Amino acid sequence: MKKTLLLFVGLVSIGLSACRKENTFDGPSINEINSKFAILESFKVDKATADFENSNAIFSARFNKIVSWKITIKGSISKSTKIISGESKVIDASNATWNGSTTLFPLFKTENCTATLLIASEDDSASTTISISKTKLLPSGARMVANFENGLDPKWTKFFQSGASMECLVKADNFAPEGTKYLNMGGTVNWDWLIGLVDFNASAYNSNVTFPLSNNPEAEYFNVLIYGDPDPKTNMTKALFQFKEDENSDGVFDPTKEDEYDYSVDVNWVGWRLVSVKYADIVTLVNGNPASPNGNKQHNPDKIGKISFLQLADPNLGFARCKIDLISFTQNKALDL
Amino acid sequence: MMNKKTIFFFVLALASLQGYSQKARKLSFIGGARSSVFSNALSVSDTLADTTTAKNNYGGYTLLDLGFNIQPNKQTEIMGMFRIKNNYGGFWGSGVQFDVRQLWVKGVVGNALRYQIGDLNLRQSQFTLYNHHADQLDSMPSVFKLQQNIVSYEQFYQNNTWRMQGANVDFGLSFSKFLKEINFNGFVTRLNATNFANVNERLMTGGNINILQSNQFRFGYTYNSTFDLKGTTANNNLFSNTIHTFDWSINHAIAQNTLKLAGEAGISNWNYTADTLAPVLNDYFVNAYAKLYLAYFNTHISVGYLNVGPDFRSIGAQSKDVNYNSPTLFFNRFTNNQQLRPITLIDMIGNDNIYNRTISTSLASENEVFNDILPFGLATFNRVGAYGKLQFQSKNKIHVQAEVYRLNEIRGQGSDALKAFSQIKLNSKIPFHTLIGLANKLEVQVGLRLQQTNRNSIYATENIDYKNLQVSLGMNYEIIPDLEFLAGFVQQQNNGNSFITERNDYSEVTYFRNSNYNLTQQIAAVGLRINFSPKAYLCALLQQSSYQDRSELNNKAMADFKINQFGLIYNILL
Repeated sequence: MKKTLLLFVGLVSIGLSACRKENTFDGPSINEINSKFAILESFKVDKATADFENSNAIFSARFNKIVSWKITIKGSISKSTKIISGESKVIDASNATWNGSTTLFPLFKTENCTATLLIASEDDSASTTISISKTKLLPSGARMVANFENGLDPKWTKFFQSGASMECLVKADNFAPEGTKYLNMGGTVNWDWLIGLVDFNASAYNSNVTFPLSNNPEAEYFNVLIYGDPDPKTNMTKALFQFKEDENSDGVFDPTKEDEYDYSVDVNWVGWRLVSVKYADIVTLVNGNPASPNGNKQHNPDKIGKISFLQLADPNLGFARCKIDLISFTQNKALDL
Repeated sequence: MMNKKTIFFFVLALASLQGYSQKARKLSFIGGARSSVFSNALSVSDTLADTTTAKNNYGGYTLLDLGFNIQPNKQTEIMGMFRIKNNYGGFWGSGVQFDVRQLWVKGVVGNALRYQIGDLNLRQSQFTLYNHHADQLDSMPSVFKLQQNIVSYEQFYQNNTWRMQGANVDFGLSFSKFLKEINFNGFVTRLNATNFANVNERLMTGGNINILQSNQFRFGYTYNSTFDLKGTTANNNLFSNTIHTFDWSINHAIAQNTLKLAGEAGISNWNYTADTLAPVLNDYFVNAYAKLYLAYFNTHISVGYLNVGPDFRSIGAQSKDVNYNSPTLFFNRFTNNQQLRPITLIDMIGNDNIYNRTISTSLASENEVFNDILPFGLATFNRVGAYGKLQFQSKNKIHVQAEVYRLNEIRGQGSDALKAFSQIKLNSKIPFHTLIGLANKLEVQVGLRLQQTNRNSIYATENIDYKNLQVSLGMNYEIIPDLEFLAGFVQQQNNGNSFITERNDYSEVTYFRNSNYNLTQQIAAVGLRINFSPKAYLCALLQQSSYQDRSELNNKAMADFKINQFGLIYNILL
């Protein structure tokens, strides 16, 4: 029996050896990594003029070894910037496809752009140009709540405190990240948290008492562009978005019997930033702390009857300011600008 | 002070209660208490004096682990252990932690089937589920072992087990003919919980059949599988890692001596169901050895053959106890550049913060500073070669252990040339009190480990010449009964160049970072320990560790630093 076992073990070992995959080696070649860097195929883009409504632009290049690279695309008019980066030997459609989106706002316009490839470790760079004939569209299925291109809709409810240096108006200047206008809000109110608010009522958009959203909170994403410019002394601006669900569809939100979900953003950065959140991830807040909602305790995006934007500041500090634009809902994924 | 008194009287009351309850055989109390205080001082030798980070750190805690062992009937045992921990400086709520530390139920069904549900300490073979402690010093001086024991207690390390939660059953069958007995064991545990969005529930199941044909012949089969549970989220990309192994052992008596032929061989599979970018890894391993016991010399000699494929993956055996990405407990950042302080010997010995309690869900990070040759113990993939071991104990209790490994890579790493590894280990424990006739115990430990890695390629840039030498020396002297003087010293020297492997989430190699080492680490400690009983002691420790990096090519050489530490540990097991 022992001989049989030894024979069995021997046969199994030989059998297993035959199964092993014969690769040359794992990972990139170390010799290649340590060789002198060279561009084997020059940096270029597949089209001189891009129509981002219908197609993407693809950058390409090829090197003799794996390097970290960064492509920076800058709009000549908008000054918008798109950054694509990676670590590879080849730049192609798999890692350098541009759909007209933006990394640093504002959004791109119909304009000429310069794309610069930088390989920092090798102190090497290359450039090419691309012209935008049509800018990127908002994704199909996106529902716009407000882009302020037509000013403040009279059907929205507005309230602004009468504090010092108050400014709550739609502006049209170079700050506009998308289109030509945005909402600017700011001022000093040292007796209350609220600086001002805008209620976006569902009735302003359609004849229904609720927004035309699906009933799946996992599929609905709320998006907003916020420009932060915090006062260095206070560094205090809160943008609070409240989602009030009219669960019984009576056209009235009853805070004691219906759900309200709240999304609070501390605007402590400088510049425009796209803020996105899945509706299912938004919680109820009471005095800034998570709490249980008062209605059916289920996220029902199809029941949202009112979205409120409130700008807040600690009354002890008083001052707050921010700009907002492009309040929207997208389906299945966050807005990609 | 009042806090300590309260705990003392509480423990006293519990001890009395334990005596009472043991008579009834229904309820007993187990657990432990510990009080520890440490003062740490950091000194940095940098080109510019470090003025931005704190140089002194004080901390400590008192904790009580209180376990209730309830036996509602002869077949059932329930265990619940709670921990109250108060960090020094926290009073009456602030800084006090209250945790459930252990919770399990075990019992016997029909006097045959044993089961345990809840917390489990699990171990299978070295290639399926095993906590190798691969980077730990084999011969740790007692003064450091004392600190390491606290880490082991905190992380539930017992005989190479991993702490898991789930259910375990085992039973055995006895036979009168052909076979002596067959033992079965099986378990299912939860590795990570779903987040209900995109992380699926991940479970581990395992089983073992052990067939004892006679006292001379035994063989077994072991199965281990880690897998994502379908449908726990909308993510249909399900991971699985399955290992099947077969092990055997044949004992043969030759006069007074015994020859044992034993080993284990198996296959593994690693795959993701829906991710087309993820590789499917299939491979095998073989570990076979012959062990001869020479009765006259009281010596064990083994020679073995090891072959672990480059694509052999086993989450349970390739998880590491040390998480090298964890922050250190103190002086996490230092120098004016806020550099991350590397994990050093002082952290490896006594910093439970860097240790994993259970297995990781992906391939754990290696650290060639501590172990370049077998970072996952015998389950280290991409190794083939031979090893030899010798274990000897003289009549006057001198204990000597030696090991030699000669291994090679099976598949090159970034090169067609293969690395060659050699490792020599030598550990000895010498009871001087028996040699020179001292009444009080005087024991000396010495240890040495030399690891060497070489690669000779046709391209000079791919060559490797890397050495790692670790020496340790320990002493344990009983001054008077129950009062011991402890001393220990460990030095680790890393020299040469090595390529650090960077991997993606699928454990595929993505890059090799060249590192040059001229690194010396030392730790020296002295301590006095008062043993109140075999289960209770008070120890005062003074230790100094140093880290000196002289390499100029190692990206940016780390600033040299020293850490001085004074500590008091009071430890009691109930």
